[in-house]
Amino acid sequence: MWKHFSLTIIPVILLALATPVMAETSPTETIRVAVDEILALLRDDQLDKDTRRDRMRAIIDARFDFRAMSQRTLAINWKKASGEEQQQFVDLFTQLIQNSYVGKIEAYTNETVEYPAEKVKGRKAVVDTLIVTSSKEIPIDYRVYLKDDQWYVYDVIIEGVSLISNYRSSYQEIVNREGFSGLLARMEEKIRELDSPSAGDGNDPEGTSPS
Amino acid sequence: MNKLLLLLMLLAGPLSAYGLDIDPESIGGTTATTTPDSENSDEFEDFLFEDEEDIEVSDPLEPLNRGIFWFNDKLYFYLLKPVARGYRRVVPEPWRVAVQNVFSNLKTPVRFVNAGLQGKFGDAGNELTRFVVNTTIGIGGLFDTAKDHFDLRKTDEDFGQTLGYYGVGPGFYLVLPVLGPSDVRDGASLLVDTRMNLLYYMAEGRTYWGLRAYDKVNDVSLDKDTYESIKKDALDPYLFIRDAYMQYRRNKIEN
Repeated sequence: MWKHFSLTIIPVILLALATPVMAETSPTETIRVAVDEILALLRDDQLDKDTRRDRMRAIIDARFDFRAMSQRTLAINWKKASGEEQQQFVDLFTQLIQNSYVGKIEAYTNETVEYPAEKVKGRKAVVDTLIVTSSKEIPIDYRVYLKDDQWYVYDVIIEGVSLISNYRSSYQEIVNREGFSGLLARMEEKIRELDSPSAGDGNDPEGTSPS
Repeated sequence: MNKLLLLLMLLAGPLSAYGLDIDPESIGGTTATTTPDSENSDEFEDFLFEDEEDIEVSDPLEPLNRGIFWFNDKLYFYLLKPVARGYRRVVPEPWRVAVQNVFSNLKTPVRFVNAGLQGKFGDAGNELTRFVVNTTIGIGGLFDTAKDHFDLRKTDEDFGQTLGYYGVGPGFYLVLPVLGPSDVRDGASLLVDTRMNLLYYMAEGRTYWGLRAYDKVNDVSLDKDTYESIKKDALDPYLFIRDAYMQYRRNKIEN
């Protein structure tokens, strides 16, 4: 009987010892909660557009570490920038990512999201999600890291394409060509464009966006 | 190939041609900048992204590519999209999904052969089973019965991936007229894969091309404005799509 007892107590003790490293919620749960909230907001017809947008932004703000993303996106240019420029970039980048993420999710409001897998390695993890539509499945992976017992997103990978990597290449080119202030100017312009009422669904027979 | 990104890849949008060299990027080392933010924000860079690699993209034909990108963009907005929209209004989704299934079924040999060439015999067998099930029970491929009832999912393989698997690099970036983003390896592979599409042997001349076009229109009708959303967000859609394409292909090859 003692043997039986000790056999069970050991896993329990091990589990207890392991706990300090673990967060209250698993990475998948963290993402699932956020995604569910966002989808619920999208599906709520009663909400007016502004309230919905503000609430979605709050959710995204709470989960995405924009500073980490900004640093990574700018790479060497981050170091070259002043503290003030860095902050400006973070602010603009935050707005762009929010717009971008919400814009993409919106198209899939009525689809189901599955959470097939999660890989945790120390303080980093990847949460695999799948958007299931009638004609295809789209894998979206969230890379998260643990800080103060909470998981924060630092990259989103859509069909194998890391958003941060992608942004980085483009932004690098723009900085090379037009300097840091040029980049900031373009970002501001893009945000204005996205916020304006005429930013429909990209139905532009005029094709190109202003360069 | 996954339709979403294929579509994404499919169309392009220009901006004036910038002749530009790509600087291979250095992944940030550690920094000295002080940030108003607390602790070790700069250490995050290393900790979070330490196992990142950069994709270096060779694009010596950039001015030409940008031109073709611009052309494809116009083609999309002035022709492909309006046609797809009209089609979408008239034909209900289930039918359009069925059409997509039929075309996809006909491309089985592409997936089957290329999986086999990469030693992925499980996947190859899977494709064969899917083909048989979908053609018989799925009535000529109209229904993806293999997925719906037997949970056998499609595995996307193509000759470009096979070449990549054997170490062939992408070569430089190419924007193909009408077809969109590609590279030397994948563009050449199209020649091979086209001939493994059963459709190639079932129709000729105008009918063949008409069906290929129909396949595309049908795909666009099922898409949710992927291309538009990319254009909307990106500061430079050409660059964005180029890098996305390269990452996407690399990821597919590594699976």
